[in-house]
Amino acid sequence: MKSYINEIMAITNRILIELVRMRRSLIFWVVFPALMLILFGLIYAGGNSSAKSFDYTAPGILIGAALFFSCLGGPVALIVAERERRTLRRLLISPLKPISYFIGIVFSYVVIAFGQTLIVYGIAFFFGGRFHGSILLGLLIIILSVFSFVGAGFYFGSRFTKRTEDVNGPVAAFGVPLLVLGGTFFPVSILPSYLLKLAYLDPIFHMNQALKGVSALGQGVEDVSIHLIFLGAFTFLALFLGARSYKSMLAQEKRG
Amino acid sequence: MIEVRDLEKSYGDKRVLNKLSFSIGPNHIYGLLGPNGAGKTTTINILCNLLDADAGKIFFEGNPTSQVTKQIIGVVPQEISVYLDLTCRENLLFFSKIYGLWGSEKTQRTDELINALNLQSYEKTKVANLSGGWRRRINIAVALVHSPAILILDEPTAGLDIEARYDLWELIENLKNSGVSILLTTHQLEEAERLCSCIGIIQKGRIVAEGSLNKLRSIIPAEQIAVVESDNENMLLDRIRSYGWEHRRYGSRLILLMPQKYNLVDIVKQLDGIPLTSISLQEVGLEHIYLEATRE
Repeated sequence: MKSYINEIMAITNRILIELVRMRRSLIFWVVFPALMLILFGLIYAGGNSSAKSFDYTAPGILIGAALFFSCLGGPVALIVAERERRTLRRLLISPLKPISYFIGIVFSYVVIAFGQTLIVYGIAFFFGGRFHGSILLGLLIIILSVFSFVGAGFYFGSRFTKRTEDVNGPVAAFGVPLLVLGGTFFPVSILPSYLLKLAYLDPIFHMNQALKGVSALGQGVEDVSIHLIFLGAFTFLALFLGARSYKSMLAQEKRG
Repeated sequence: MIEVRDLEKSYGDKRVLNKLSFSIGPNHIYGLLGPNGAGKTTTINILCNLLDADAGKIFFEGNPTSQVTKQIIGVVPQEISVYLDLTCRENLLFFSKIYGLWGSEKTQRTDELINALNLQSYEKTKVANLSGGWRRRINIAVALVHSPAILILDEPTAGLDIEARYDLWELIENLKNSGVSILLTTHQLEEAERLCSCIGIIQKGRIVAEGSLNKLRSIIPAEQIAVVESDNENMLLDRIRSYGWEHRRYGSRLILLMPQKYNLVDIVKQLDGIPLTSISLQEVGLEHIYLEATRE
């Protein structure tokens, strides 16, 4: 057990050091959601009080502009880089257990997500926004969202991307329409009814609705249960697919 | 220390390794030479537990291969497969942890390697900012974090300038002298000549010639090599046949296998009347042995 924990810590630590060194990604993951939050917060403030506008904007921005790009795009880029630089092959030769590597990556993105949550809610607080519901329930939704994104990231990174240049394609092609449909940047109430029905199949919709419910409206578990069930099921599916693709990628790497 | 016995591996109908056998003693460098596709990479992949052999056995220090052997084998891949955004020290610390070293043991081993590989000036430099030679050094250092008894070096000096290559050769010799058994694959015959105490030439998945350089010289039926170019090759071939000299054609070059030592003037006299464009004499080297052993 100790060796698993040590290996997971080593992987997580390494990814975080690399991230700090690669300032470009770090700046993007901080500046982009911060600017989007301020911009949409001020736009929606319109005639309303800005505090309420930031209450509603912060959850969507956290899910769609922060966690989506870091926790989905990040693992895709990381896996591709490890394959391109052949460090993955070197790790396969080492005694590192594949599960430790997988969990190490998930953990590093949980840490990154935690930092992004602090920044987004820090800015929202600065403009008068507040977290109205249970913080524990909010954290659960954020953690499930991170797991979903990282699982999907493993899936895309292992299946569809072989080179660094391939990373943006699947993320943009599959992800951005889901962000729009999921009500990241505007209320889903403006969606036509057939799109709203379609939105129920979009995991980002459930992440947004659950977090908005808890954070902006102070709702409890019963009020967001339908979204939690969808989100839980999607998290399981994403992690399952991610782990399976990861396993087949390792087998492929071993063959050389 | 490593013994490979009758290793076999096929991909579909294609047989890649065909009863490959060799062994490497302690404090020795074994050079595995062969053309592309001969089976070198497959052999390394099997030794590293990345691939399973279809048949045959590998023994490390008397034990059959298993995951445990990952602790006694170090592999230096041809590519610089370390983390470019980490410093040399951070790379060593990371891989030490992956190999199960923690606390003071990890720091101590990192310090030892930094000193042994003369990385002191660059220990806090990001690998991305190092030159090719220093990158190769950290690539080797990472493979040594767990003090392996056996080191596999896959083309360790590929793409390096002469100075960096000489530096690395010295380092590899020091590693051998420190008690590490080394398996070296290379396309640079000069490198194999300089470093290896035993050379195995692999072709179509099996060792076709093996031994020290002196022993391998015996596979060439010549005391000396003459490289000749002529405008009338038929005339030249008729003449050398009349002397009983053998010849080989390596690419566009015609090679005469001289059964005894001659000086250049004597050979030119023997070829009197044949229009020669150029002629030179060479000692039998690994290049000739390699070409002879891999001749179809």
